[in-house]
Amino acid sequence: MRVLLVDDEEELVATLAERLDMRGITTTWVTDYRAALAAVEQEDFDIALLDVRLPEMNGLELKRLIADRRPAMKFIFLTGHGSEEDFKACSAETGREYYLIKPVQIEVLMAKLNEIAQS
Amino acid sequence: MNDLHDDADTLGLHFFGSMTASISHELKNALAIINENGGLLGDLALLMERGRPLEPERLKTLSGNIRRQVQRADDIIRRLNRFAHSAQEPAATSDVREIFEFTIALAARLATMKGVTMTVAPGSPVQLETRLFQLENLLWLFLKHLFALTEGNQTVEFAVTEAGAEVVIGLRFGEGLPVEEIGARVMREGQSLLTASQAELQVDASLLRLKIPKKGAF
Repeated sequence: MRVLLVDDEEELVATLAERLDMRGITTTWVTDYRAALAAVEQEDFDIALLDVRLPEMNGLELKRLIADRRPAMKFIFLTGHGSEEDFKACSAETGREYYLIKPVQIEVLMAKLNEIAQS
Repeated sequence: MNDLHDDADTLGLHFFGSMTASISHELKNALAIINENGGLLGDLALLMERGRPLEPERLKTLSGNIRRQVQRADDIIRRLNRFAHSAQEPAATSDVREIFEFTIALAARLATMKGVTMTVAPGSPVQLETRLFQLENLLWLFLKHLFALTEGNQTVEFAVTEAGAEVVIGLRFGEGLPVEEIGARVMREGQSLLTASQAELQVDASLLRLKIPKKGAF
């Protein structure tokens, strides 16, 4: 499974990537939307894990741009807000409740990744 | 007068809500990083049990990461605490520049999200008799409308000077921003605050100038 991680908190996304790598997931991490778009142009990913509140472009808008380029990719949103409004917007965007609130437990994230990969 | 008070109260609630939502998001990020670093320590311990060597430097780095994020979270909570108390403070004489630096720190994450760099021009303290929360709220209105109207990569510099019995607050924006529209929106939404502070707002090309009497504002 190849996963693209996008979050402007570099220390968070780099550490999370290392932990996923230890669990057999191949990861690429970036900290802004431009690098995320460049990454999907260059590599194939199965899933993108997107922070909802990214600088300059939010995760929902980024998801649409990535999906235009890679229609087969699937998405999980990650947020620090946890508002009902975010939950509804992200669920509507993915069609499922693929929405995790920070801080996220690695077991929960792994379960979501496996669920999406098998869906 | 009651209408103005009601408007100011509503504005204050919106301001308080915007700031605490942003602060809670920032705090969540610090907690998430602590969570991942702690989790990685656990992962490395498991690997070590299975015979994989672990460099002490790695442990020192992770420990340092956790301490740094705890310090970050502590700074965030201190700001939140100071902000919450500012809502209870009666009118007092305060240094305007210092209040601006604090409000800018409160809004720093929102500015980053919008690609806005905010600075306060250096200078001597400028004292103003004011209610802290109301002045913070007035400043926030400028930032809020700047954030709403910018398309990113924007700068704003705050300058504070004295002119007789008034304090003059200047907001100088970078190129490409509809400064007049920012001023118009602040006047419209912040009418109650501007009236209460007896402040006068002037628009001059890329500069917004706010004149507030040194005594008796708010």
